[in-house]
Amino acid sequence: MQPQKHILAFDDLPILLRQWLRSKAVIGPLARQDQPGFYYFDWIDPADADVERLAERLASGYVTTTIPPKKAFFPTRETLFNFAAAGPVVPKNEEHQEPFLLIGVHPCDLAALSLLDTAYAHPPADGPWRKRRSPATVVGIDCLPDQYCFCTSMETSGSRDACDLFLTPITSGFLAEIYSEKGKDLLRGIRTEPAQPRDIQEGEEFLHKKEAAITLSLQAGSEEFAEILDTVDLTEVWEQTAQRCYSCGSCNTTCPTCFCFDVEDTLDTNLTSGRRYRSWGSCQLLEFTLLAGGANTRGERRQRVAHRWYRKFLYLYKQFGHSFCTGCGRCSRACTADINIVDVSNDLIKRAKEKR
Amino acid sequence: MSSKPRVAFFDFACCEGCQLAVLRLGETLFELLEHVEVVNWREVMTGASDDYDIAFCEGSIRWQKDIERIQKIRETADILVSLGTCATIGCHNAIRNDWPLDTLRQTVYGDPTFPAGIITARPITAVVDVDYQTLGCPVSAPEFVKVFKAILTRQKYDPPNSPVCVECKLNDYPCVYEKNQVCLGPLTRCGCNAICTRYGDACRGCRGLVDGANLEGAVRALGADGAGRHPIMERVISAHGLSEADILEMFGTYNTWPKAERKDYQYED
Repeated sequence: MQPQKHILAFDDLPILLRQWLRSKAVIGPLARQDQPGFYYFDWIDPADADVERLAERLASGYVTTTIPPKKAFFPTRETLFNFAAAGPVVPKNEEHQEPFLLIGVHPCDLAALSLLDTAYAHPPADGPWRKRRSPATVVGIDCLPDQYCFCTSMETSGSRDACDLFLTPITSGFLAEIYSEKGKDLLRGIRTEPAQPRDIQEGEEFLHKKEAAITLSLQAGSEEFAEILDTVDLTEVWEQTAQRCYSCGSCNTTCPTCFCFDVEDTLDTNLTSGRRYRSWGSCQLLEFTLLAGGANTRGERRQRVAHRWYRKFLYLYKQFGHSFCTGCGRCSRACTADINIVDVSNDLIKRAKEKR
Repeated sequence: MSSKPRVAFFDFACCEGCQLAVLRLGETLFELLEHVEVVNWREVMTGASDDYDIAFCEGSIRWQKDIERIQKIRETADILVSLGTCATIGCHNAIRNDWPLDTLRQTVYGDPTFPAGIITARPITAVVDVDYQTLGCPVSAPEFVKVFKAILTRQKYDPPNSPVCVECKLNDYPCVYEKNQVCLGPLTRCGCNAICTRYGDACRGCRGLVDGANLEGAVRALGADGAGRHPIMERVISAHGLSEADILEMFGTYNTWPKAERKDYQYED
């Protein structure tokens, strides 16, 4: 869809934010008070929201968060249902969800939301995801890359997937691209000017400048990389990477497209009722594939390391036609052993080419 | 006559902070106590009974007489639970094992010939079989509740077997490495909900090594194998003026006992 493009004055963003906070629950990037320079997505309290600060943060291209905004739709831990020792189990996952607004989402994370929409819609569709996702509105914003970003290689640097409204800071204000009725509604009550060709050009320049600042790149396209993983014996790379890897799960727990979860039951202290909840899983953990009886299908670290690449770049590519990596760089940034997903991927690609 | 299981708490060499952590459960503690009868808990009650079903034991074994005492408790209790890091993996108490016995006696008692049944400090789990283990310095109160419920419902409890990094990330805390600090999170068993990183500190490894911890990788990252340090550790080490020895010492704070895996004890009086 061709978006309508408008110019939103810088001074009007705080006014809009106030308006949004009055009408809906809003989740957006907050600055850590305890650790300056770090950000996290969380619900914004309308009572003490500093909207000027928030607008400034959005305009200046805040640094990426530790964990991605998918947590708005897939909380790190959520109750699936309550149960009692006597009586039927009452599922909770279809209950009504109030619409909310997710703001400040960078293009790579928009692409990730779209990939998760696809994966979680695949039968059997995920109820809790759909429940939160359908009534929500998403506002994207353009960003500045850090040393770990490689979104250009994954073709997500200019992604507008899954968003209703997208903002790019340019000289005359924000270039506001409207992608849905919900997005249009967000600008109601504010006077915006239609964007002029020079504004649109400036928006494109912002994107080009961002892309030029990205230093990392994959040496193969998604299709070629999938084919390499599918056909070449790359054991030595998995072994070398596994020697360094701590199996700490930081790559999975910070990934915007990982969708595995763990399910656990807990009893209340009365010992007669309890809850089943799910929390984010990680295929890098020793117990991820631990089966009843003690067998473990990926008990070796190199098997788990390899699985991450196969999963992101081969299995899901085959299933959905896209790599399940958006180049956000969070896994490389979070890796406690300094394993960079681009370096390892390029090593795989290089060796595969040598072997042929 | 109550049919509720009788519970006792005991302590060996420790700060008794684990018992305090249990007491700080507040209302939850009262809810749990509905299911049991506490018959022996020096820290909170007068009177003591030697007739109990479930024993929670805190602290390390460091005297000959401790061995006899823990064996007696083992004989009496149907269920024995090691409470916290001292009881489960040795904790700070085991640091003394790296010192000569004479120096210890001189430093602690002012007499290098002080007579006592001093033995190598070790966790309770090295002396008797335990049915449930809880970790943490102090023990994690939510984990204590889980274990308590598992005991009452006759279920197994396995401590979580993932590194602290998992809980740290799920809480959306920035990586300690990104703040140029050394952190033992990648090697340490979780279950604490990353409470130290929550308050801006690093993980010091109080819950012990996670199963399958990549110690060889850690040695390589420190450059201790002569292969050159890993860039991230280089950054961390140079930013703080630390040495490999400093980091290993931090590691040893809680992990001295399992590090040595001592089968034959260094000294016995």
